Parts: sequence; C-alpha cells; structure tokens
Amino acid sequence: MDDRTRAYLQGRFGDYYRSVDIVAPPAAGDREWGHIPWTAGTGTTMVRHQSLLDLGDLGDFLAREAPRHAYFSAARYADPSASTMDGKGWREADLVFDLDADHLPAIDPEATSYGGMLVACKDALRRLLDILETDFAFEDLEVVFSGGRGYHVHVRDDGVRDLDSEARREIVDYVRAVDLDFDGLVTTVQTGTTTRRTLRTEGGWGRRTHEALLELVEELRATDEQDALDRLRELDGIGEGRATTILGAFRRNPDAIRAGNVEVGGPGLRMLVESIARETVERETAPIDEPVTTDTKRLIRLPGSLHGGTGLRVTRIDRDALDEFDPLVDAVPDRFTGGEIRIDARAETAVDLLGERTKIEAGENTVRECVGVFLMARGDAEKARE
Amino acid sequence: MNPLHARYPFFDAAREAVEASDVSLAALVAESAPAVARGRERVERALRAGTTAPEDPGEWSPRDELLSYPIARILVSLVDSAAAVRKYAAAEAATAHERFVTDFEAGDDGLRSTGRRAASLDEFLDEFGLDDEVTAEPPTTARRPETFRVGLGTYLRLADAGWGERWRLVNREVAAGAVRIEREELYRLLEEAVRRRVAEGLPFEVRGSAGGDRLAEALEPEIESLRELLADRGRTWRIDTVAPELFPPCMKHLLERARREAELEAHSAFALTAFLTGIGMDTDEIVELYRDSPLDEEAIRYQTEYLRDETGSQYASPSCATMQAYGDCVNRDDRCETISHPMTYYEAALADADGVVDWRERAEESEA
Repeated sequence: MDDRTRAYLQGRFGDYYRSVDIVAPPAAGDREWGHIPWTAGTGTTMVRHQSLLDLGDLGDFLAREAPRHAYFSAARYADPSASTMDGKGWREADLVFDLDADHLPAIDPEATSYGGMLVACKDALRRLLDILETDFAFEDLEVVFSGGRGYHVHVRDDGVRDLDSEARREIVDYVRAVDLDFDGLVTTVQTGTTTRRTLRTEGGWGRRTHEALLELVEELRATDEQDALDRLRELDGIGEGRATTILGAFRRNPDAIRAGNVEVGGPGLRMLVESIARETVERETAPIDEPVTTDTKRLIRLPGSLHGGTGLRVTRIDRDALDEFDPLVDAVPDRFTGGEIRIDARAETAVDLLGERTKIEAGENTVRECVGVFLMARGDAEKARE
Repeated sequence: MNPLHARYPFFDAAREAVEASDVSLAALVAESAPAVARGRERVERALRAGTTAPEDPGEWSPRDELLSYPIARILVSLVDSAAAVRKYAAAEAATAHERFVTDFEAGDDGLRSTGRRAASLDEFLDEFGLDDEVTAEPPTTARRPETFRVGLGTYLRLADAGWGERWRLVNREVAAGAVRIEREELYRLLEEAVRRRVAEGLPFEVRGSAGGDRLAEALEPEIESLRELLADRGRTWRIDTVAPELFPPCMKHLLERARREAELEAHSAFALTAFLTGIGMDTDEIVELYRDSPLDEEAIRYQTEYLRDETGSQYASPSCATMQAYGDCVNRDDRCETISHPMTYYEAALADADGVVDWRERAEESEA
C-alpha cells in the first residue's frame, strides 16, 4: 500500500468515525483496548494494554486516530492497562464465538467468491445460534458481522462470564460435537425386570438425533411401502429384513419411537439411529474457531469500527433482523456511498457491493467510493490521482 | 451444639459456631486437647487412606470432631506442601460424600435409627448456593427423584471433563440452559463443591504473629510426623509388569474379594487400587482386571483417577504395617517375613520368577 492510499484511507476512516456514534460494549472501562494504526510497511503493530482512561473518550479517540483496526478485550480486568496479563487482574470474560469462512469445511477459499463465503458463514451462524439459544438458553447475545469473512457472537449472560478456559472448551466441543460418544446416545433403561434401549431425547445431541428420526418416521409413514423400504435399504447393513422391521415399527408403533424407544425396530433401527446421529452432527454443528472461545483474554473487533482489510463496518445485527441482513449491503458505511473516486487496480476483478456488481479493469478505474475503499483496503488497488 | 456441624465441619454455620464459641485453638493445642489428636488423625488418615473419618468413631465427642477441623487446617497449612493440601481436601470431600449419602438415604423423616438428625439434600444444595441451580425431575417410577437438571454454568464449574467420557458436556442431555444428571452424579458434584470449599484458603500463613509462631512451635511434633508420612509416600517403585499370580497374598486376597463381593471397605479398595496403580496399570487396565467383578466401573475409574495426581506421581500403596492395622494382612507366607511393604514383596517375586508374561499382553493374545 503506498503512502497516498494509506493517507486517503486513514482520512476517510476518520471522516467515518466523526459521523457516527460508536456504542461501547458494557463495562468498557474494565476492558483492555487495542488498535492497529495505519503504519507503512507490511508489518502490523498492535497497540494494546490500553484502558479507556488512556484513550480518553472513545468517539474522540477513534475520530482522532482513525485506526486501521480497533479491538476490545472479551475480558474485564481490575487494571486493564497493566502491561502484563498477570498484572491486569482478570475478573471475567464474555463468551465469544467466531465463525470464519476460512474454517468452513465445505468452502474452498480459493474457489468461492467473498459473497458466497459470507452466505455459507451465515448458515453456520444460524446453526450456532440454534445451539446457543435452544440448548444453552443464552439470552444476552450480541451478533456481529466481523467486517471480514465471518461473524462473532458475544454472550454476556451472568452464568458464563466467570467460566475458565477448560469449561469454555467443553462448550466448544459441544457445539462442534467433538468427541461425541455415538453409542452413548442410546441408553438402557430398566423398568422392573425388563430393560429397554432408549434414545436420550431430553437434550443435547440425543434430542437433535431424535428430532431427525421423527421427521424420517413421518416422511416414511406417508411414503409408498416399496419406496420407503428402498429408502431404508440405502443404508449400509440394512437389508430387506431389517428394513421391513424398521418400517413396521414406524407404522405400527410410532408412539414408542416418539418416546425414544429404539428397541421396537430391532438392531436395524439402532443402526439407523447411529447413521441419523452422524448426519445430524454433520448438518447441525457449527465450525467455530476454538481458540477465540477458549482464550479468555482475547481482543475482539469493536462493533461499529471499520475493518481495515475491507473498509466494511463491523456491524451489530439485530437478532430479529438476521434473515434480512446482507453484509455486502448493510455493512457498507453510508459515508462511502455518496461519491466516486479514481483507483489504480492491480488486476481485472469484480466487486459485489450494495447489490450491484462493479467490473474493474486492470489499471485506472472510476468507481463508487465503497468499491474503491474495499479494493484498496484489501491491497488490490492503490489510490489514483483524481 | 448442632450435631450436623461435627459431621460437616466445613459448613459455614459450623465455622461460625467455632468462631462464636470462646474456644481458643491455641489453648486446645497448649493443653493437648483431644481435638488436637483428632485433627492430626484427620490429616494422617487423609494422606494414608484417602479419608478423614475417625478410625474409632466412639473415641471422639461431637465437640472434638467439630474443633478438629480448624486444627487440621492449621496442620495442613504448616506441613506446607501442595500435595498435602490436595490430598487433604480430596479426603475431606470423599468422607463428606460417604456421610451425606448415608444421610440422604436415611429417609424423609430426617432421623436415623440412632436418633441423629440427618442432613437433607436440600440443606446441602442450600449450603453451597445450589438451591436455585438444581431442579429435580418429577420421579417416574421411583419414590424419589432420580434425575436432576443443573444449570449449565454450575455444571461446567463443578464437573471435570477428566472424570470420564460421560462427564463431557458433548455427551450430556443439555436443554434450556440445564444439564441432565443422575442422582449419583449430583452427589459427585456435591463432593466437588465440598472439596473446593475445603481447599479454599489452604495453605494459609500460620506463623508471622507471636500467637501464630507459638502455635506452630507447639504443633511441631505433629508436623514432623505428617511430613514423614508424606516423604514415606514419596517413594515410588519402578515396576511396570502385571503378573497377578505373583501378587503378595494380601493383594491376591483383596482382588479375589473384589471379584466376589461388590463392596470392599474404603481402605481395602484404596489399598488394592493404589497397589495396581503403583505397578504401572492405567485406569483402563484396572477396569479390565476387575471386568468380571460386580464392582461399578465408574467407581473404579473415579478411584484410580483420584489416586493419580496431576504430576503423574501416585499415591503410594499402604505398607505392611498399615495393611495389618486394617486387618487386610492375610495368608502371610515366607516372603512376607522378609519385607515390610507389599510392593517390595512383588518386586522380589518378579525378580525371582522366570519368563513372566505381562497380564496385559496375555489379554491381547487371548483377544487375537
């Protein structure tokens, strides 16, 4: 990035910060603050170990410094500006989840467009929120578009802020179904002298598996017999006999299966359950980035600040407006949508922002400012003379 | 005084009762009161046998019991070793576990046949601030609730993923912010709550004031003997061969009893598991060795994990003297006359034997 580009972006980031009110996170004074300034060279130096007292008023600080990136700590400290972590006196930390398109198993970052990655990431976000809200019943959730390739969720419920790193790892493993004991999803219940194998339907991955099983029961009950049998026989190890037993149980004894009883369908049903469990895990886990959640002293991007690698706004998303949220429209700062600027692009490319595709030629182009900022922040273009 | 305080001296109310009484711990020490001897026994038994229950319950009054707890805390602080604190807290918790299970199972009238008031589960939950965190599911078939829901945060704070697969959150039924647990698992969480309460503030500075220095000085003989006990435990054997036919008679006997009967007394189970751990068996192997016994796998696992501390060193298995004291020294043979520790017996037996095939390899061969 050349000097002209850097000066331009810093100036425009400053204009942005002067035009908005940044809403600080709760207990902002107990947190550590950090930022990366617009310095020359490839190295990035984070200025950290600062408290709000060091910064002065947050809005003034951002308007004055117009940093390239701005962060605050998930943790709250007795003395957030102490220069060592030990000296800070850790008190508690928000429980933070990070979904990054780079970590989505089905996404090849080389072959997928930026927009495509964000769509896939939002699906993962929905799965994450389902677990956080249904299973964990977290209520104080802040959902944030990171301004880059993903989403953050900050959880600030009372019961979780004092959890240590190990406890947070348990939460991560639950969300990702790491080390899930598939055999353990089915337990043996003793009633009098008889035992009965039962799916653990009251919560966790057992409940999710059970829901998927019941969907299949309903679907196959409504399906023509031969088609239903064929469907079941697609599974390894399930032949004609087992398929018939399973389907018989589905049709004659659905209430038993609704109650979690997996004895009724014979060994075939138990195989089916395991296979459904594996599909359920595949479909409903969210590939969160473990270290972000387990590191209780991590710095996280400040919502409302600009991401220096895209020029997009780190955007808080109203929980009810998640479906409509389109990062490539809603995270574009208004400040950068008014005019056009000239840029010098490294190569031919295309940018999708504000619902329109802008084709870029190699060399000089005149583009909407947000498109220019995006390309310059990514390092794909330099500022050209107007 | 409230007899529950003697039984559960770590209760807040018990501590307050001691503080409110005019008893001076220094005076107790100066006059060698029974509470001091009992306090020393608490720590001694914690290091030796993983329990703080008295060897002879008839010997001590409830007052001795209650006052022995702060004395034991002073002793552990003066011994000043992380291992002593860890083992002491674990032993107090294990003892409390045995006691509250007895109390909770005593029935709803709160009175056992002895007429002693038993603690209730609600009292315990209340004591540890868990009353709002734990909800009983309505019983289905049993008379009392066998399943509970505990708040997610509380579960994660108390449960340790190292206790086994089923304690991992991922393997739990979690719904609406609560984790489903069985009654025995709730007891395990309560034990952990006790352990943490006991460990809190240990070790503390006893010396540093004139009174504290005098106290420390007066307790010097006790401290000395407890330190020796720790050092004695420090000896580790470099054995990593499992050959049950060469075990000393006492261990053979215990192993046989474990296979035949479900319940070994706590000290016997401790001695056997410590011996098996000491000869290099890991938890899975010990479980496998007990395979045909009626012993509960989780209980074995728990005890084995407990015997191993984080540093990887182990609780030494009891010496012949301790085995004799507990009546576990049986079927003495000629070799027994030459040794003073079951481990030494086994070491010598291994050295004398030819072509020993490790039991673990035999197990693998028979599977193949």
